[in-house]
Amino acid sequence: MRWRVSAGGLGQLALLAAGLALTVPPAFSPAFGGALPCDVPDELMQVDDTLPHLAERLRAEQPVRIIAIGGASTTGLAAGSSDLAYPHRLQEILARWYPSSSITVVNRGVPRQTARQMLERFPTDVIPEDPVLVIWETGTTDAVRGVGVDDFAATLQTGIDELKAHGIDIMLVDLQFSHSTTTVIDFEQYLNALHRVGDVNDVTVFPRFEMMRYWSEQNVFNFDGVAKDERAGLAAKVYECIAGKLAEAIRVALR
Amino acid sequence: MPTSSRDLRLDFFRGLALIFIFVDHIPENILSYFTIQAVEFFDAAEVFIFISGYTAALVYGQTLVSQGALYATARILGRSWQLYVAHIFLFVMFTAEVSYTVTTFNNLMYNDEMRVGDFLYEPHVAIVKALLLEFQPTFLDILPLYISLLVVFPIVLLGLRSRPLTVLLPSFMLYLVVQATNLSVPAYPEGHVWYFNPLAWQLLFITGAALGFPGRHEQRWSRWARPALPLAAVVVAAGFVVKLSWTIHGIWDPFPGLLLKELWPVNKNNLSPIRVIPFFAAVAVIAIAMTANSPILRSPAAKPLVLCGQQSLEIFCLGILLSALGHFVLSEYDSAISIQLLVNLAGILVMCLTAGMLDWYKTMGRTQVPRFAAAQSGRGNHLGK
Repeated sequence: MRWRVSAGGLGQLALLAAGLALTVPPAFSPAFGGALPCDVPDELMQVDDTLPHLAERLRAEQPVRIIAIGGASTTGLAAGSSDLAYPHRLQEILARWYPSSSITVVNRGVPRQTARQMLERFPTDVIPEDPVLVIWETGTTDAVRGVGVDDFAATLQTGIDELKAHGIDIMLVDLQFSHSTTTVIDFEQYLNALHRVGDVNDVTVFPRFEMMRYWSEQNVFNFDGVAKDERAGLAAKVYECIAGKLAEAIRVALR
Repeated sequence: MPTSSRDLRLDFFRGLALIFIFVDHIPENILSYFTIQAVEFFDAAEVFIFISGYTAALVYGQTLVSQGALYATARILGRSWQLYVAHIFLFVMFTAEVSYTVTTFNNLMYNDEMRVGDFLYEPHVAIVKALLLEFQPTFLDILPLYISLLVVFPIVLLGLRSRPLTVLLPSFMLYLVVQATNLSVPAYPEGHVWYFNPLAWQLLFITGAALGFPGRHEQRWSRWARPALPLAAVVVAAGFVVKLSWTIHGIWDPFPGLLLKELWPVNKNNLSPIRVIPFFAAVAVIAIAMTANSPILRSPAAKPLVLCGQQSLEIFCLGILLSALGHFVLSEYDSAISIQLLVNLAGILVMCLTAGMLDWYKTMGRTQVPRFAAAQSGRGNHLGK
């Protein structure tokens, strides 16, 4: 029995309302190979929190180390290579935008890990790297495995406390969307928990789930009906869009 | 067992809880902003378990008094068996839905993530664990709680008959131990625990049972509830204001969530005191504000809810299946608000109609037996003369 009320679900409500108010925009056909149609509604790009440590480092033009910890979609193996994963793409974009600092984004993705398993990797994979920002992509495995949502929230809280104690900025990335899995897995409570944890800790949560859902609904990307030989290419494009949007969110948080 | 003296409040609120459980189980359902969990710290699960304890004591307490401990025990175990069969039925239905989805699944980006669905990769283990109630997929977690509580209920009932405190005190102590130590019951897969920790949730069932045990409930508990009423009302009102502010904060961020940083998350697995205290306060307020013969309960508008509450096991299972179906429809076809409302409406309608049909079926079954018995005994009298 799961009860949820929070940012995640409500964002969807707002989107639905917006979708009802406007006449639904026609699905535009993506020009694959050319510019990527990664656009999302403005509501999804709202960033209220800041990244003070990262801002300071960039202002001082010092080297920046960012850790991307997460699951399979952080490793990016579905795209065929870790160079096509979102952390590497993010590094490319940030390096372009902030050429005065040398920016490294370290990929610490391990497939099929719950938030707790990732937290257990903090002492070896995260803290010793001395990052200024940690991007924590989590929740998907917890939802598929049905980890207790209270435990999930408590784990996130512990992780955030630990990173904050080390003076590290944090961004959370929420779950992956897939139309066909939403019919059997209740993602909503995990999304809600994740967004609420971000809310009470003043940590930005990057709404990947809603973005991917938007792309799916607008037929920008069709995650479920894609031919076998096009799947890796699709994954690469999605990761590239995610990286672009994440970079934009970071830029907003640096203001 | 509907009798003329039956306290319809039990049926009414249990029926309402079943409707809420159906609504709340459909993810991203707009109507779930209008169920109890949106405005109070507790939800329909507390209501369901508490009332189930109350009615179990009422019904089996009568059996115990009139037909003895052995028969009462047999009846309780028979009922737990019925619940167990219902649970396994739901599990099979759930499995079928997952299997369907997985066989049609071809999302490379999600392949790795889906591999953790242990059930799909070791069904031979999962099915045994399901039979042992250790594997509780989402939504299939409340019946195992109910079953485990009923299995030990014969002993509880004997305690309640002689000295209620011999049951209530250990129950409360166990609850405190869970709060202090996080003691839990392991589940499958490795590292999981029972979603509804029976060691904590027993408090609601047993308190309900103590209040519902025949002969002593009414006077005794209004004696406690009346002086506490002002305090209870304050607790319920405070819970309402705080939780509603969280709900609004979730919809519209600038609205402040009162005490959100201090109180959230409120643990449900172990039935946090933040859930259980407002719940008992609400019980006290409702018990006094609404008497058992309140005309509302006999109004035509309340009838469908009362019927749902009276057929609780069937309607609970149906509600779970319908919310899975509703979820499927909304995510597979269209989740516009109008469709959401339609899905809710259809589900509630099916639940109420089914309850009505079951009531008719059972009433027909019951009325025939006495007529036959009367005819028999009439003949007996005749012969006696």
